[in-house]
Amino acid sequence: MKSSVINEYKTVLAKNYTTFLSKFPEIFSDLVSGSIFDFAIYNSIKSYDEKSPVDVFNVLQNGRGIEINPGRADDADLELALSIEAVEKLIQTDTKTEYAKLLGNFYNFPDEEKGWIDFFLHKRTQTLIDMGYGRFAKTAGILEDENEI
Amino acid sequence: MSKINELEIKNKYTGEIIRTIPADTPETLEAKIKKTYENQHLLKEMTFFERAQLLSNFASKLRFNKNKLKELIVAEGGLPIKYSEWELNIVTNGFKFCDWYYQFLDEKPLTSIEGEQFVKIRYIPQGLAACVSPRNTPISLPLYQMGANYLVGNGAVVKPSTACPLTMLEAYSMMKDIDLPALDALDIVIAPGEWAIDQFLSSPYIKILMTITASHTAKDILVRYAKILKKSVDKSMGVAMYTQPFKQFFFECAGNDAGIVMDDVNLDQVAKWNAMASYTNSGQQCFSMKRIIVHKDIYDDYIEILIKEIEKLKYGDPTDPDVDIGPLGSRKILMMMEVMVADAKKYNVKIYTGAEKIDTGEDYGLFYKPTLVEIKPELCTDLKKAPFLWREEAFGPVRSVTKATDLKDAIRLANASNYGMRAVVYTSNLENIELFKNELEAANIYINARPMLTDITVALGGIKDSAYPPGCKYYPQELVFPKYIYDGTSLNISKIK
Repeated sequence: MKSSVINEYKTVLAKNYTTFLSKFPEIFSDLVSGSIFDFAIYNSIKSYDEKSPVDVFNVLQNGRGIEINPGRADDADLELALSIEAVEKLIQTDTKTEYAKLLGNFYNFPDEEKGWIDFFLHKRTQTLIDMGYGRFAKTAGILEDENEI
Repeated sequence: MSKINELEIKNKYTGEIIRTIPADTPETLEAKIKKTYENQHLLKEMTFFERAQLLSNFASKLRFNKNKLKELIVAEGGLPIKYSEWELNIVTNGFKFCDWYYQFLDEKPLTSIEGEQFVKIRYIPQGLAACVSPRNTPISLPLYQMGANYLVGNGAVVKPSTACPLTMLEAYSMMKDIDLPALDALDIVIAPGEWAIDQFLSSPYIKILMTITASHTAKDILVRYAKILKKSVDKSMGVAMYTQPFKQFFFECAGNDAGIVMDDVNLDQVAKWNAMASYTNSGQQCFSMKRIIVHKDIYDDYIEILIKEIEKLKYGDPTDPDVDIGPLGSRKILMMMEVMVADAKKYNVKIYTGAEKIDTGEDYGLFYKPTLVEIKPELCTDLKKAPFLWREEAFGPVRSVTKATDLKDAIRLANASNYGMRAVVYTSNLENIELFKNELEAANIYINARPMLTDITVALGGIKDSAYPPGCKYYPQELVFPKYIYDGTSLNISKIK
């Protein structure tokens, strides 16, 4: 896997998040081998608008599991943007289900103070669907609309 | 022309004035049409994917500001807060993944009998669109109209309902906040339809008129267009020549959707979905399940459960997160519900629940309780003699139910309508499903589906009086025309050089 120039974690929070994610590799099991995307942590919506994260790491689905590395991937499929507040709360969850529910909440009910997530697509929607990102989004709690009304 | 200069937008529940906004005059409307027309080239300077990426980013802006938008939707639209989430999700999901629509616009090579590919079909934006949207959706439809035009490269002037334009104005202002490129090719018109539509019809700059309206209003637009055409006749050469060019009309109209419940389903689950599908947004939805057709063997049991589900629906203050039914959009809708129920009573129908109004005597805080009316099947086939409630769209919380003897009878009853937007079926008999898919006369068939989906694949459109042109459709697909291109250069260059 190629990773970007930045090859160290800038924040403890990002490092803790990677440790957390490595406990739940099954979250990424819907993605085809070779899927790679960035997790970017922002301290405000404004910094997200300016594409100025406090830290970034990338996750590769290598077919056997996941590889997590600091920095942006060279050719990321998308960026999952998260506020600091969201990451702080996400890493406190105990189960994959709890994590997915909270992640979905941050997507569906974004709040500058309580936390938010978003994603920025680098590849075409159809390509991402074919790579399994649609199912990934469901598993991860984003795009779940079963109880929206 | 003497026109109003400003509009007071009222809260549909409390009657308070939310905001007073300036209204367009014929002169300002003309200026907006001209400006958007002249700036359309800005859209064409970007690729489809650049425009798609910009809309996708805008979806994030909408989502981050959803609370502000939801407050407006609830206040000016009267939609319950929990429904406003759905209303917004339609556009935020649609815009986030809007490059998905490229599959309808992707250039298609055609292979000749000899196996050569000299021909391509390329999809070209039609030109400036005038879009008119209804009062029941303060943001989803007007913004979808605007976004679809932006996506394919058409300029657009969008006229939201004068009853609820604030949410759309807020969304447009968010486009300004993010400096959305080519925004000068888009604008909002605040004007009543009565004269704005005539101006759209007369303008040489407008190539497409897309309206979401009652079928009868759409037909009236065609009559008005005919009058404008007639005035444009030039007889100087001895024959009538119409100087006005063709316009593209794109009408999304009424629905009178049938919902069939067969005798092999979980009645509790289906009744729950039925209540949601029939009464969400106080039934003020074109695709609402309006004519419920139930297999005779489960009829009594199902009705009992359905009534319980309907009576669970809470109506009242739309800001209350538990409220399912908000105030009606206008007094006209309240009157129409009363007329439909009164007319139905002449046919000796059975009213299972509802048929009561809450009338403040004002133009706000109006409710009609969710109502279910049984109509005997023998009254449903001959539309000239059928109750008004069966044959026309009930754009409010009054629904009819009737009994089918079997599958074929259910299909016959479902097809006994002048409308064909959607048809819904609940059955667990896998052998019957294909028959429903083939025989039901509607542009969109939903088999065993949860209601109110916001999946990007959800199509609009209809057949019969539900839409023109007919068929299921996605807006971007309708806003381009196919161009045939034969390029024989490789074959003939040596001959013609």
